[in-house]
Amino acid sequence: MRIEKHPILTFEEKKILHFTFNHQSMTGFEGDTIQSALHANGIKKLSESIEHHRPRGFYCAIGNCASCDMTVNNQPNVRTCITMLEEGMVVLSQKGKGVL
Amino acid sequence: MTYKIIIIGAGVTGCSIAYNLAKKGMNDILVIDKSYLTAGATGRCGAGVRQQWATKANCIMAKHSIEFFEHAKETLDYKGDIEFKQEGYLILATTKEEDLQFAKNVALQNSLGIPTKKLTPEEALKIVPHLNPKSFISATYCQTDGHLNPFKMTDAYYQAAKKLGATFNFFEKVLDIKHDNDIYTVTTNKGIYQSEILIDAAGGYSREIGLMVGLDIPVYAEKHEILVTEPISKMQGPMVMSFTKNLYCQQVPHGSFLMGRTTPNQPKDHDISSSHEFLDEMAKTIDDILPKIGELRVIRQWAGSYNMSPDKQPIICESDELKNFYIAAGFSGHGFMFAPMTGILISEMILNLPLSLETVMLHINRFKHQTTHEVEKSVV
Repeated sequence: MRIEKHPILTFEEKKILHFTFNHQSMTGFEGDTIQSALHANGIKKLSESIEHHRPRGFYCAIGNCASCDMTVNNQPNVRTCITMLEEGMVVLSQKGKGVL
Repeated sequence: MTYKIIIIGAGVTGCSIAYNLAKKGMNDILVIDKSYLTAGATGRCGAGVRQQWATKANCIMAKHSIEFFEHAKETLDYKGDIEFKQEGYLILATTKEEDLQFAKNVALQNSLGIPTKKLTPEEALKIVPHLNPKSFISATYCQTDGHLNPFKMTDAYYQAAKKLGATFNFFEKVLDIKHDNDIYTVTTNKGIYQSEILIDAAGGYSREIGLMVGLDIPVYAEKHEILVTEPISKMQGPMVMSFTKNLYCQQVPHGSFLMGRTTPNQPKDHDISSSHEFLDEMAKTIDDILPKIGELRVIRQWAGSYNMSPDKQPIICESDELKNFYIAAGFSGHGFMFAPMTGILISEMILNLPLSLETVMLHINRFKHQTTHEVEKSVV
């Protein structure tokens, strides 16, 4: 899922961060957004449409579209594509509009 | 073109008047609006409907209007949903003086059959748990107050009036009105129309319409701002309101919160621009009273014109100076919630039917006489 070899760029090794997604342990790297870490872990379905519960994937990636809204550390509607991953984060996918 | 009646303004007031006239058999009506349905104050309002007022006139108008809203969908045979949410208004008292005033208000409201209760902070917190308990000293609560969708409600009136034969002309601006030989001649940017009866339901522009026929209606437009947040699962039933802290805040069925407050010292004009001062002050107010709501993102802010009258109560009457000129103006921010009664009263006046309510206190004459009159204090 991650580009490891590139003809021009090099990727230095970064610190590993641990987090959970829907109670499942996962790892990412320092400098990841929550979303890039989830993507690297093969998570493609990020949320569901409110009315018909159709799957929603990675879409705008700039914090505008709400497709990647998740509950992070009990905070609902976090735009995970623009939120940096932190050690120990508890990330839950969200059904509906989130609970404050 | 000649009509029996011309109504200026297709907000909720104009549409309610058109519907009530048409329902009583008077469907030779033209409604003219300079923009689209609900383009003015109606479509910009907070759309709360409450009966908790400090003056008798407002209490009675509101009570009868809410009784209409309860059955509006069936009465108007509307296909859509007017989204009437009847979960009350919780009004907070924050000072000793306000607490005393509210005790009087509750007594007045109860005497008129409005089921308001006075609550301790503990009781209020049971209804809205995320209130900051330090931000108020007591509250009043009326379960039958509520909220509905102003676009859908106006559309319901509009569809019903049209079905009964009323004509609506949108995007047509009234430029001039002449009154000769008991006939009103209304010139717009698109045509000339004549009628026997003219109704001024022009909201923020009521005064300007009056001036076209030489009537000095003592009302003026004043900007009021409002914002909406992102939606969240339902967490608040009633509208939370405070007059002293200057706030109203309601969660609509979609999940968004609507909130507004009055910015003091607004100029008397038609400005409806959004300001960062409002956003700043609104955020501070909400952080004080409903801190949890402060965590939500703001999606959008906008503004609309209140049509202010000197005593903050509506003017609903026929003009004394000008025969067959009817005024439905000066609602001071409450035209939407009073609209059902406004339509009923104006239609009864025009058709010489017995009036559903005593309307002396709604007559424009009250400002001419030297007698003191009650000023409504329960206003945000």
